[in-house]
Amino acid sequence: MTPFALGFAEPVAQVQLDHFTYDSTRQLNVLPDGSPVVSRKDSLSLWAATTSTAGSKTHFDD
Amino acid sequence: MTVLVLTCPEDLTADMVVDRLSHDAIPVFRIDPADFPSRVALSTAVFDGRIQGCIGYEHRTVDLSSIRSIWVRRPGVPHSTADTEPAWSEHEALHALWGTLRALPGVRWVNHPDAQAAAKYKVPQLLTAYQVGMRIPATLVTNEATAARSFLNARGATVCKTVSGRQPDTASLPTAFVSPGTDLSSITGTPTCLQTGIRKVADVRLTVIGDAMHCAQALCGEGDVRFSGPVKWNPVKVPWGLRTQVLAFMSLSRLAYGAFDFAVDRDGQWWFLECNPTGQFGFIELETGQPISQDIADYLAGRTENKPIPSPRDESSIPR
Repeated sequence: MTPFALGFAEPVAQVQLDHFTYDSTRQLNVLPDGSPVVSRKDSLSLWAATTSTAGSKTHFDD
Repeated sequence: MTVLVLTCPEDLTADMVVDRLSHDAIPVFRIDPADFPSRVALSTAVFDGRIQGCIGYEHRTVDLSSIRSIWVRRPGVPHSTADTEPAWSEHEALHALWGTLRALPGVRWVNHPDAQAAAKYKVPQLLTAYQVGMRIPATLVTNEATAARSFLNARGATVCKTVSGRQPDTASLPTAFVSPGTDLSSITGTPTCLQTGIRKVADVRLTVIGDAMHCAQALCGEGDVRFSGPVKWNPVKVPWGLRTQVLAFMSLSRLAYGAFDFAVDRDGQWWFLECNPTGQFGFIELETGQPISQDIADYLAGRTENKPIPSPRDESSIPR
């Protein structure tokens, strides 16, 4: 039996791939050029990890 | 004085706060509990009623006595690589780590794990919101089709939403209006949350850390703002009287941080929908410029003088 609420489900939206890695020395995520992601404010909002639904599936984070 | 940040490595929102703390030369120690015990080392000793020890991760080690604040952001679950009894091994790791952290004296939590866990439940949230004077939509959590039908018939416009707030693994589940003739029979298999649908004209996200509040509004009509495509968030003032209600909610819930969602109806009335104790704030700060990450950093660094959050043991200090 499909749960009732799933009758209102929609396909998962495509999200931008996250092209950054965690730098344990700086304790921040960095771009391929080594610069911290947080230093790029204009593009930071494009990363799925800061959106309103980021982490909902695993961390109850809406 | 060290701020312990518990979150997954890819948490860019945590980066926003860590960056602020580092800029202000506040020591930060960031780990993901999912890396314990494989990559995180822990030793905790109890002597003469005092706790001593340290936590190590790669080239960093922090003495337990130096931890002054703990930010529980998006932590994973301890993962064991044991060949035998891995589930038991992970349970041991969970108790070792969280038992240690819970025992640290005088730590400022954002949020304390007990308070955070309790505050995630929707039904108590609604009752607390009502208790402090907020408007709440009529709500039914049920797996009985007859109860659901009665609610629909009595309330008219009704929305369906998750009970837990968690999204399914393979789909997105926006809050959606339920048509009057909808077949409700499948409710018996999984409980669902039905709620009076607010004919809203705007959504509000109110982010709280300590006594600091930041409020932002988006005009997206009756759809679920999380799934309505690009929306514009603009700063708005906290309505008169709501600030006191929000602080009362936070105190009753024993929370230091919370992300409130309100629906604004056509008469301009604000309706409480939920408070997420681990709610996202990154998108709000990036769109509005509101210094939420700085306020969180200040709170973790102990630079903001706030009313102490009652510990779960301190029942006598909870306002009623």
